[in-house]
Amino acid sequence: MTRMNHPFIEALGKIYPADRLLTRDVELLPYESDALTAFQSKPGAVALPVNEAEIIDAVRLCHRMKVPFVARGSGTSLSGGSLPIADGLMIGLNRLNRIKKIDPEQRIAVVEPGVINLHISEAARQYGLYYAPDPSSQSVCTIGGNIAFNSGGAHCLKYGMTSNHVLGMKVVLGDGTVTRFGSESIEGVGIGPDLVGLFVGSEGLFGIALEITLRLMPTPQLYRTVMAAYDNLGRAGDAVSMVVASGLLPGAMEIMDRLAIKAAEASVGAGYPLHAEALLIVELEGEAPQVEAEFAQLRAVIEESGAFEIREANSEDERARIWKGRKSAFSAVGRLSPDYIVQDGVVPRSRLGEALVKIDELKAEYQLDVANVFHAGDGNLHPLILYNGREAGALEKAEALAGEILAMCVDLGGSITGEHGVGMEKREYLPTMFSPVEMEIMRDLRRAIDPEEIANRGKMFPSGEAPALQMRGMHPLERQGVISRE
Amino acid sequence: MSFRANDETVLNSVAELQAFVKGHERIHVVGRRSKTALHQVGADVVLADLSDMRGITEYQPQEYTLTVLAGARVSEIQTALRAEGQYLPFDPLFANRASIGGAVACNLSGSRRHRYGGIRDFILGAAVVDGLGRAFRVGGKVVKNAAGFDLSKFLVGSLGKYAIMTELTFKVFPDAPAFQGLRLRYDSLDEALNAVFRCNRSPQELDLLDFAPSDQGWSLLAGLAGFQDTLPQRAKQFVAMMREETALLDAMEVEDDGTLRDPLAGLTGNFLVKVVISPRQIPRFDALVRDMQRRYSAGGNVAWLATEDIGALKKILEAQQLPGIVLRGMVACPLIGKPLENALAARVKRVLDPQDKLV
Ligand SMILES: Cc1cc2nc3c(=O)[nH]c(=O)nc-3n(C[C@H](O)[C@H](O)[C@H](O)COP(=O)(O)OP(=O)(O)OC[C@H]3O[C@@H](n4cnc5c(N)ncnc54)[C@H](O)[C@@H]3O)c2cc1C
Repeated sequence: MTRMNHPFIEALGKIYPADRLLTRDVELLPYESDALTAFQSKPGAVALPVNEAEIIDAVRLCHRMKVPFVARGSGTSLSGGSLPIADGLMIGLNRLNRIKKIDPEQRIAVVEPGVINLHISEAARQYGLYYAPDPSSQSVCTIGGNIAFNSGGAHCLKYGMTSNHVLGMKVVLGDGTVTRFGSESIEGVGIGPDLVGLFVGSEGLFGIALEITLRLMPTPQLYRTVMAAYDNLGRAGDAVSMVVASGLLPGAMEIMDRLAIKAAEASVGAGYPLHAEALLIVELEGEAPQVEAEFAQLRAVIEESGAFEIREANSEDERARIWKGRKSAFSAVGRLSPDYIVQDGVVPRSRLGEALVKIDELKAEYQLDVANVFHAGDGNLHPLILYNGREAGALEKAEALAGEILAMCVDLGGSITGEHGVGMEKREYLPTMFSPVEMEIMRDLRRAIDPEEIANRGKMFPSGEAPALQMRGMHPLERQGVISRE
Repeated sequence: MSFRANDETVLNSVAELQAFVKGHERIHVVGRRSKTALHQVGADVVLADLSDMRGITEYQPQEYTLTVLAGARVSEIQTALRAEGQYLPFDPLFANRASIGGAVACNLSGSRRHRYGGIRDFILGAAVVDGLGRAFRVGGKVVKNAAGFDLSKFLVGSLGKYAIMTELTFKVFPDAPAFQGLRLRYDSLDEALNAVFRCNRSPQELDLLDFAPSDQGWSLLAGLAGFQDTLPQRAKQFVAMMREETALLDAMEVEDDGTLRDPLAGLTGNFLVKVVISPRQIPRFDALVRDMQRRYSAGGNVAWLATEDIGALKKILEAQQLPGIVLRGMVACPLIGKPLENALAARVKRVLDPQDKLV
């Protein structure tokens, strides 16, 4: 049977013109994996809708014919979330990229799911507004993908994740039901259960977001950024606790360890002190007089914290330079090694020190290099495990180390993922965080919403058939230097 | 409507609550009964009283997280937080009477929610007992978590109809050391609303932004929070901007006596109602409720109304397709206006409470 004769493809052909329905192997190739390149699988077809109706019709057809589908934004998922289902349908949403409305006076935007995250901030800039969630991939990732994973960035402690910025949406559920919830009010749903909160972070398992109402925020009047260098990682962690204890609420608090500093320095020359064991970046933002006053307090705290070098950004250029090293750190470390795995487990902030010591021990035990770059303000680790995929058993060893780090995060009372989602990659770990009853309830929920379990089948929940791991490494866009990761 | 007292049981533990749910057909949860309109249920319904399940289970100021039992009084929590210079940024209403579980179930935030967000923005996780008597946790206990479906946010506004919360974890923030209230006067609603729009397009970070009709036109109530020494300068800048760019009649500093931050201050009518609205919907809506006491909160994203004529308000909300909830006064059903039925919510109900026990 050739694919084109398949009744499902034939039925799809009635919804999509031939140039937007890809079925030939060469056309399908670019869709075989996402940024977690370890997993690959060939979809049966890729449909490229240009409007809501085409998405809804495709989902209804899938439901009727029991064919699984995966929505895809830009395919930057780091957990295998947008990996196609073998012989299923992939629905590529990039052409639904209209910002339908920006209402600066109500501070909202209404967008289609394929809109690129950064484009919203760019469109809102003329009004003095921006869209707050800022994943490092924001120049390419889509709002639909952000919604699926409740994506974050460097500013989550103060401003929350994607979920906190979605006020309303229209969605098609896995069984083809179309429903709306939320509103243009900052209260969102406001009365009745918060369905927006439930849908965001559902990893594409409930259905597809068709239209999204987002909250915009005023661009801060002033940023004040400081970078402090320490001769040990623990001291940088303690400095974070001191900042918090002083009653400040910084927009961002980030730490990099020695390996990350070295790599970033070699890659972009941000001027970081090379002999530092750890670097802490703290940024305050808000109304100028308040930020200046807070900054004086922050400076005093940092001076007390045992840093051997403190650098303040006194211009936008200097600020950009401090951030440039941080933002490029992951790709920079990635260049040191043929392959790497990045995890994003969370620990309670006060246990960051403990977590880092443990990672150090594991590193020695497994004889693998691990670089640490993380959102210290919210305890979101990003250990980067380096290995050479061509050495026999190296990937398995790296996987085992990654697994131990996740187990540690759960033991310390944290989470297996802060922002990248469970996807394919961490599905076996989900039960370490949730009890059998909780797992059962989540499964029942999924089935109640999508009885055929066709929306992003095989993701998030542990299951038997996983495509074989092949390799790890950079996303093609990272290799080209288009994006970098946090 | 029946005024007969329903059977009522005070529950002290999760295990007791589980047994109670398993042993009864129709159950309604009461916290501390600060919202009378929400507890008028049929005679066949038994009441589960959680007000004895109180206290702080875990509070780590350094983590910015707090875990409390659902029956805890909001004011007790606020006192504990204040001792550490922290607060609940979603600013729960009825602090002296409400339980924290009730605040979440009804999603009731005060005016200071304007700065950082509502309950949905600060809830991190919960322990619940569902309609099948199963006890389980949703969400997590750390400030950032993307694992599993986020049922904790779903509980916000769920009115106890899907699962009964027994424990809640929140993100908390350091509170500003000082607060400055301002009252700005405008001629008309339109001018006040224009002023709100102007604020929305400025980088000024207001702690609260409400407006309400007053004896002479409309009052815009603004609050700034921060360090004591920076407040005068910030307030001056703010008023200067408003004077220059809006039809401001006059501006005055106001004492922080609590009424400024309380959107319900002065709303004395028999029926008290919360309406979810967006600022642009206000002019048309306000023209219909001119004879009612009202205040628009959070930059015009919530309307609080007090009236003697709930029937009239109901009709208006239905016509305007706005959802409302009655918090005080005798009504057959507290949910009025735009119907809440939703396919997704119905599916969750089917999983968590298939026998429709929780009402
Ligand atoms: C270099 C790099 C840096 C990164 N940095 C960060 C970071 O700082 N923070 C962070 O949180 N993440 C980060 N990520 C991860 C990734 O960018 C995010 O998860 C992003 O949200 C994915 O968006 P996408 O458009 O690429 O989605 P895809 O990868 O295409 O899809 C992701 C998931 O979303 C689902 N989906 C897509 N559209 C919809 C829709 N409309 N409705 C429902 N489900 C949908 C898909 O089915 C899939 O499960 C990074 C990734 C890379 C490669």
